[in-house]
Amino acid sequence: MSEEINHSPYPFKKIAAAVAFSPRVEAILSELRRLQDIFDANILLIHVGEKDLKQEQYLKHLVHRFGLDKKGNEIIWETGDPVEKILKVCDEKQVDLLVAGALEKESLLKYFMGSVARKLCRKTECSILMLKEPDIRSQPVKRIVVEGSDHPKTVQTIESAVYVARRSGADEVFVVQEAAIEKMALIRSDEFSNGEAEVHKEKIEKEEVDKIEEILRCADCGNLKISTIRLEGKPGFVISNFAREYNADLLVLNSPDAKLNFIDRVFTHDIEYALADLPCDLLIIHSKHHSN
Amino acid sequence: MNHSDLINLLIAISIMMLLGRLFGEFFRKIRVPLVVGELVAGILLGPTVLGQFYPHYTDTIFTTSGNVGLVLNGLATISVIMLLFSAGMEVEISIIRQQRNTALIASLFGLIIPLIFGFIAGFYFYDFFVKEMPVDHLVFGLFMATAMGISALPIIARTLIDLNLFKTKVGMIIIAAAMLDDVIGWLLFSVVLGMMQKGYESNQFLMTLGSTVLFALFTLTIGRFLFNKSLPWAQRNLSWPGGVLAFSLGFAFLGAAFTEKIGIHAIFGAFIVGIAIGDSVHLNEKTRDIIQQFITNIFAPLFFVSIGFKINFFQNFNIEIVSVVFVLAVAAKLFGAGLGAFVGGLNMKESLAVGFGMNARGAMEIVLGLLALQAGLINEQLFVALVVMAVLTSIIAGPMLKYLLTGEMKVGAAIKEIIPGMKDQTESTNG
Repeated sequence: MSEEINHSPYPFKKIAAAVAFSPRVEAILSELRRLQDIFDANILLIHVGEKDLKQEQYLKHLVHRFGLDKKGNEIIWETGDPVEKILKVCDEKQVDLLVAGALEKESLLKYFMGSVARKLCRKTECSILMLKEPDIRSQPVKRIVVEGSDHPKTVQTIESAVYVARRSGADEVFVVQEAAIEKMALIRSDEFSNGEAEVHKEKIEKEEVDKIEEILRCADCGNLKISTIRLEGKPGFVISNFAREYNADLLVLNSPDAKLNFIDRVFTHDIEYALADLPCDLLIIHSKHHSN
Repeated sequence: MNHSDLINLLIAISIMMLLGRLFGEFFRKIRVPLVVGELVAGILLGPTVLGQFYPHYTDTIFTTSGNVGLVLNGLATISVIMLLFSAGMEVEISIIRQQRNTALIASLFGLIIPLIFGFIAGFYFYDFFVKEMPVDHLVFGLFMATAMGISALPIIARTLIDLNLFKTKVGMIIIAAAMLDDVIGWLLFSVVLGMMQKGYESNQFLMTLGSTVLFALFTLTIGRFLFNKSLPWAQRNLSWPGGVLAFSLGFAFLGAAFTEKIGIHAIFGAFIVGIAIGDSVHLNEKTRDIIQQFITNIFAPLFFVSIGFKINFFQNFNIEIVSVVFVLAVAAKLFGAGLGAFVGGLNMKESLAVGFGMNARGAMEIVLGLLALQAGLINEQLFVALVVMAVLTSIIAGPMLKYLLTGEMKVGAAIKEIIPGMKDQTESTNG
């Protein structure tokens, strides 16, 4: 693969959040305060809806209450389609990280139609953090699971996960390499003798393991405990399942290669498995500039 | 079936499996696809060779008539349904989806160009291929198009591994395109069989076409969802691996029965159910492996050996038809798939290598040919030509690949592999 990627997605100096006046608004703002402190970032609050004095005052009150009124932070009011407007603001303001609260699982109809948070995930061009259970007493991130697939974007995804882990004082990062069984099955066809198939399989495994080791050697890991694990199964599903079983606080994935649409929900693949049933908070890393 | 029929049947199955495996292994050792060995075993046991000297055996044991023949034909039908189920399991919708438009473009070249070549040949030169057969030109043209377009995924995977392209973006585009080719190819073939049975101008045919599309859509969406939900149940509550095997094959046969009932061939149902089950996230590697092993080691040999019982390959070998079919097939795929790879970003040599890899038709072409023969769409001569083409394209894929990649044509390399102690007497021709 010859793609070249430069510019790190982190250090997340400009964080935007979609704010609606829902029961979870306080929890979201509390989480934003935590992110503001961890990344020393400026916060941009985006509300899409008619501006009314009562709501404006309430939001200002919340901003003050959660300590989000520092210099450089902004509140932006927009009207129109929430997804389009939020993405437009992120683009114009060159946001590094978009934050949105999302339900763990949505009804089948809503999943296929697409909620605002999930639509943002599928369409955004900046990194996005989906908070599964935002809490007013926001919990620190202790365990992070990160995608280690053989893809050019993985370098920045792992580096970002390591950065987040170090800034937030996480205990452990798990790099999960997913061996796609459908590709392995092709190697084990009758075209290869048993020994030959094993040799090819081992060669592919070794190449992938070496690549991850190389990435980790370059990443600024410090004393952070990093483990790698190789699992066989459907990419996206396997890592999502692992994050759930491992009780991870944060799952970090590569951004999709193209904007996802309805067909991707019907024929689920990769990131859609995590979006269908969020195992924990989900951070999708968009490599800022990459050319295919 | 009487006592002696039963004994004959058991002897037939036993020899088919043993000889098929022995020849298959021998051919695999010299880097020729296993299926070629199984075909050769069938040719030896059938009217082509054994029948010439001991016709009694080909009339009573290795036969396609009488009680024994009836059971063997039944076994071959079940085998072909399983083979298509297995081919369906190789198709991964997620791989096709990931590659998106690029796979479509590559597929367009790799499939559409051979389809056009095949259709023109079949439609306009119908008399050359199947003289005096009461088959509609359009139907035959479409069949020839399908026959030229079909590909062999395992051979393509092997080609890409040898090219060190298997895990690259281009490699995955080629795999995705080949998978898409297969889905379109089998869909088209099912439609051709439907046209054959019902005539393409009747309302009944339109009903069949509509049912085919609806069945495929239903199975790949709701059916796939239900399989995915029920597989964990099967794995939890039924013994492993028998339970999952019965679950998967049970649905494969049900799908096959349904498509046969609505007027398209049973193979299409099995193929689509194969895609739906193979796509399940709960189907782990071991289970997948066991299903594949079960089919390729038990049922596939029975099917491929039995082909030799149906036809006298020498009598029906027409050098003109064989040559034209071979040249047409190679030209169509080399041009189409090679162009697709070239557009995908490979250089000329690599594109040609991919062209040769995708040119290999493998076992599925033989399945396609036999089904067409049974449906009365082609005659024995064309079937033999298709078999020869499938075998030759599969055999030349490896050496051509080596030649294009290393510039060497090692004629004796295969022999050396069989006799490890042999001195290096390989003839090298620099290319």
